[in-house]
Amino acid sequence: MSAPREDRPTLRPARRSQQARASRRRKRVYGPGTILAVVGILAFTLFPIYFMLTTAFSARASSGTDNLIPRHLTFRHFTEAMSSGFSHYLVNSAFVTIAVVVISCLLALLGAVAMARFRFRMRTTMLVLVLVVQMLPAEALVIPLFLQMKDLRMLNSLIGLTIVYIAFALPFAIWNLRGFVAAVPVELEEAAYLDGCSWFRMFRSVLLPLVTPGLIATSAFSFVMAWEEFTFAMTFLSEDSKMTVGIGLKQFFGAHVNDWGGLMAASTMVTIPVMVVFVLAQRKLAAGLVAGAVK
Amino acid sequence: MAGTTVSGGSRATLEPPEPRDPSLHSRPRPLRVRLRPWLLLAAPLVVIGALLIYPIVRVAYLSFHRYGLKEVISGHPVFTGLDNYREVLGGSYLWKTVLPNTVVFAAFAVVGTIVLGTLVALLLQRVGPAVRAAIIASALLAWALPAVTGTYVWVWIFDPDSGVVRKMLQGVGLLGPEGFNWFTERLSFYAIATLNVIHHGYPFIAITIFAGLTTVPAELHEAAKIDGANAWQRFWQITVPMMRPVFAVVTILSTIWDFKVFAQVYLMPGGSGSNPDVFNLGVWSYVESINRNQYGLGASIAVLLTLVLLVITVVYLRALFREDEIS
Repeated sequence: MSAPREDRPTLRPARRSQQARASRRRKRVYGPGTILAVVGILAFTLFPIYFMLTTAFSARASSGTDNLIPRHLTFRHFTEAMSSGFSHYLVNSAFVTIAVVVISCLLALLGAVAMARFRFRMRTTMLVLVLVVQMLPAEALVIPLFLQMKDLRMLNSLIGLTIVYIAFALPFAIWNLRGFVAAVPVELEEAAYLDGCSWFRMFRSVLLPLVTPGLIATSAFSFVMAWEEFTFAMTFLSEDSKMTVGIGLKQFFGAHVNDWGGLMAASTMVTIPVMVVFVLAQRKLAAGLVAGAVK
Repeated sequence: MAGTTVSGGSRATLEPPEPRDPSLHSRPRPLRVRLRPWLLLAAPLVVIGALLIYPIVRVAYLSFHRYGLKEVISGHPVFTGLDNYREVLGGSYLWKTVLPNTVVFAAFAVVGTIVLGTLVALLLQRVGPAVRAAIIASALLAWALPAVTGTYVWVWIFDPDSGVVRKMLQGVGLLGPEGFNWFTERLSFYAIATLNVIHHGYPFIAITIFAGLTTVPAELHEAAKIDGANAWQRFWQITVPMMRPVFAVVTILSTIWDFKVFAQVYLMPGGSGSNPDVFNLGVWSYVESINRNQYGLGASIAVLLTLVLLVITVVYLRALFREDEIS
């Protein structure tokens, strides 16, 4: 007993962490309350997703209980949904989403650099403006924007929808990116100037690479907003060929019978890209939200 | 000619650090440098101005006018003063149906989301890395489930004809063979909407609060433990005061989001117009304006909703600026 204790000081870091890990592991014999809480939260969180998937793949989708543990699996709902025009909605949504992500990120970067790197009169006013316009409800803006787009003959135009989405994505994107730009030390920029860089050279070679994580997080938010937006899509788009997925899902509701299998298969196809984006951008997403919301 | 070369030469060496160098502030900066932030801001401001600010001004303008199909065709709104507001505020529909639907629902949804989010965050602290990763991953999936598809899934789960809840309740004898339509009753309608919103909203709260919890020094908890404080006391005496800013921000953000819930109500059976019992402010405004072409009346409801949100936003900004980070 005494010998190990004597050499403990030299080995301390390793031992300590090992010991701590061991004691933590020992403590981690969960009580029934904790187990129940973990199982409960996982069940509540995952059940709707599970149920969406099983209905989408179930051969007897129209009966609710059969989908709990589907016995006959099929791809029929997916192929039927795709051939009934849903593939078209997916393409429309992809076009709108990519355009919104690229353009809103570009504009937001300009705004974020201005807000984070320059001291100018009305800077605080601009910051408050960017925060306040985020709170404007889509239901209030949909009335004038609908009338506007009608006057401009831009209803049933994916470009019109894209322009509106860019405006909606922009305030949060600027706010989010501002934090990332401000986090880049000014000294790095000054070093670039000392090396003889112009402002744009510095921007391209120093600032841009360092705010890439912020751009990823911002893109993720714009992506999700544009991909699943519903209110404006419903209001602006009435032609079947122009619909995006948010409103296209409605096609599965019949007058009397709802095609639950088709609806859930289409819902699955709408959900997968969002989940992929969330998983890819996960860390940056949380970091950006905390930085944007709290700090 | 000579002047331009001199200024051109000085730009390359001197100008870039200038806007940031405090020692140069006493000297008036050239207009070109002062304009630089505005050049950067120009494009974003034009978009925000044209598509967010101008429309909100136009909604306020329309709310004082009659603007129905006839006026849309002629292109001239008819000024009616406060008539729209009188119609909205005067009837009992706003006070007995729409406002309770909006406010009570938001209250339950916010409290439910914050409580569940906090509990999950505390749970995440207690469990080991594997379980923690599983919970965070599943929470991310729920967060990623789009509001539209999520609403459809909940509608399907509670479908009055063949939904899984009906079948299960009938299976255990809690529901008669005639079934029950949860979507016609206001209370059960909003119970389902609340479930939907909490499911979609709690992951953000849980992950944010969990991130905040890691900043609370463990020493504080250990000291309190030595002093004999139990977990409940430690939560209220240490965690809550230390995390007040985080709680303030997530509460106000959730309040704003839950006040303007639209798709989650509109997409449920009856929510798109056939069941006026279940409208909230946003849905009512949309149905009056877009579905019934009474743009003036709908605009006045939209203005009321915006004013409510603006008040919450002011509270939010105060909480945020108290943090003193925006300088």
